[in-house]
Amino acid sequence: MAYSRLRFGALPLLMLFALPLLAALFFMLADVTSRAGWHGLWQHPQLWGGLALSLGTAAAATLIAFFLGVLIGASVFERGLLARLSRSVAAMLAVPHLAFAIGLSFLVMPSGLLARLLAPLMGWASPPGWITTHDPYGVALTIALACKETGFVLFNVLAALSRPETALAFRQQKAVAQSLGHGSLSIWLRLFVPQLWPSLRWPVAITFIYAATVVDMALVLGPTQPPTLALVAWSDLNSASVGDNARGTAAATLLALAAALVLALARLALHLMRQNLHSWITRGPSQRALPSWLGLAKWRGLEVIFVAVVLCLIILSLAPLWPFPDLLPLQWNGAAWGEAFDHASPLWLSLALALATSLSALVLLLLWFEGVDELHDKLMLALSMVALALPALLLALGQYKLLLRLDLTGTVAGLYMVHLMPVVAYMFIVLRGPYRDYDARFASAAAALGRGRWQHLSRIKWPLLKAPLASSLAVGFAVSFGQYVPAQLAAAGRLTTLPMESVTLSAGANRPLTAAFALLLMLPPLLAFLAAGLAGRNRWRAA
Amino acid sequence: MSLLLEQFGVRLLGRELIARFSLTVEPGEIVTLMGPSGSGKSSLLSAIAGDLAPNFTSQGSVWLDDEKISATAPEARRIGRLFQDDLLFPHLSVGENLLFGMARGPRAERQAMMKAALTEIGLEGFERRAPHSLSGGQRQRVALMRSLLSNPRAVLLDEPFGRLDANLRSQIRSSTFELLKRRRTPTLLVTHDAADVPEGGKVLNIENGVVTHA
Repeated sequence: MAYSRLRFGALPLLMLFALPLLAALFFMLADVTSRAGWHGLWQHPQLWGGLALSLGTAAAATLIAFFLGVLIGASVFERGLLARLSRSVAAMLAVPHLAFAIGLSFLVMPSGLLARLLAPLMGWASPPGWITTHDPYGVALTIALACKETGFVLFNVLAALSRPETALAFRQQKAVAQSLGHGSLSIWLRLFVPQLWPSLRWPVAITFIYAATVVDMALVLGPTQPPTLALVAWSDLNSASVGDNARGTAAATLLALAAALVLALARLALHLMRQNLHSWITRGPSQRALPSWLGLAKWRGLEVIFVAVVLCLIILSLAPLWPFPDLLPLQWNGAAWGEAFDHASPLWLSLALALATSLSALVLLLLWFEGVDELHDKLMLALSMVALALPALLLALGQYKLLLRLDLTGTVAGLYMVHLMPVVAYMFIVLRGPYRDYDARFASAAAALGRGRWQHLSRIKWPLLKAPLASSLAVGFAVSFGQYVPAQLAAAGRLTTLPMESVTLSAGANRPLTAAFALLLMLPPLLAFLAAGLAGRNRWRAA
Repeated sequence: MSLLLEQFGVRLLGRELIARFSLTVEPGEIVTLMGPSGSGKSSLLSAIAGDLAPNFTSQGSVWLDDEKISATAPEARRIGRLFQDDLLFPHLSVGENLLFGMARGPRAERQAMMKAALTEIGLEGFERRAPHSLSGGQRQRVALMRSLLSNPRAVLLDEPFGRLDANLRSQIRSSTFELLKRRRTPTLLVTHDAADVPEGGKVLNIENGVVTHA
């Protein structure tokens, strides 16, 4: 019985997700263990500078994101504003990294909105001589990553805090700790952060690996002389020379190993400091309160940055002429939008891929959840974590080699395959908890009322689970829509998706068109999250 | 030290939940407040401790001897609390739970106090154990000791024996009362079980929001 259930429900997901993933891993390992390319890499002049930049920007961005995320989460929990915040965090997560980076670069560039706002105060008549994007230390890249990943950390903090048993336990522990003389800051640092840490350390590790190996954001904002090691690898991987490709593979491998080493060292340091941390936790009460202005002010600050980025993109996309100190352009026209829609095939391709992958992933996951015992979830969870935690650069390399064998490079089918992988991984992680927590007694109750399995699913279970189902679809859609690295390799220059087109444009000088494309990259995922929020709403309202 | 409630009451969204009443709890005295569940007993204790949920408000004042504390932050009131659940912090060992509320000071001194306290509740050598490895009765004793080690000026007990099984209950009950009396801590106990009332102790009834002397 158990065997046959595993076979039928599991087959589609195993065939379309697990098998290609394992094959890609196999080709990736075959590639990264080959000795070609390493010799060239050691002699690459940008190797060490690039490595330091990659790890440094990633570490700084991860630390900032962790502290801001926890702090904002704390202040929101204290004020009971969890539900209200969750929606804007979801919106923030939905914005693709690339679109945010393009918007931020326009916001802070010397002739950007920020400089124009400052101009009257500083008496500037011409753009200031500051170097904001592509600065040699990666400050712009770090800030962009930190802003974006704070949302991710916060999302995980809120997810942990909104579990009913955690929220209840924390409220009770808070009452006890207060009676023992601890103020809110002490309660957070000594009680809540240590207890939240187990559910935050994977998100933090994933953030770090992502930041250390990010390609699209670094192309738009990162330093160039030298660039981050991820970009060194990327330009080699996109070269026509086989020797360069091998060197790129070696660089990507080295970067992944170095990032893993940093994480291992951080883990070791925490382990060694365990005793000191516990002495600090138990050294006695402190009545200090959470700084009341800090959390929400920071959150508003983040929101302001996101809104300013969008505003800046909207103005630029409508303004071919925008003399410097003026806050608003002299004239508006929609020429860039006309041009964007004349060349809209990347948009349609990305939309089609996002719809196809998220919908088919949902079908695959429902077949799995309904047909396979919960015991086997562990396997799928492990594969999903591998797909998410591995640097996109390396995994994309394996996927590309797999597509070469299948003769699917440069085809829509190949693009579908490489988009489906991260979509399934994210959706599995998002959906598993709510779906498996569904109270099985509803099924018995429905059966007792003479309803068949299908009627139970369509009339009771799925309607009850519509909020998590809808938001997992939105997550899948957004993940697919933002894919750059695997798409660029798999397309082999024959097809163009929206992120690829946006990267190309951002290297050029046509700012209105670039802004229009960045907005096109931003809007569909936001709409998807908005739609998911509406679809998931209860028909009744809580009092 | 004694605990005084003066014309004290609780309101929910402006509606009266517990009518104003006055009460004095002398040093070492254990006053019992009896009432059915849902009668607002727990809200009354939260009001005294100062951490009422939003929408609840308290009226009147709370005094510890001649210090009025009803406007003080909850963490500065130094009122100990015990709940039905022991609420030991799961990420800390038994010993660390005890240290958590102890005033700051030299490390060796605090460690010695913690160990002596464990001996006092019959758990000598348990300091490195995880809370979940203890029995329910042992955990409740640790929770009480954790509260006492923070030197509370008064203690509020919210059905602290409710989760213990019957044969353990009377034993934990008498050891709890003994510890509290020995430290001369004024104590307010809330329960719906008449068996929890200490021998010869003062009892108040709470019914339909009105507190009356039994």
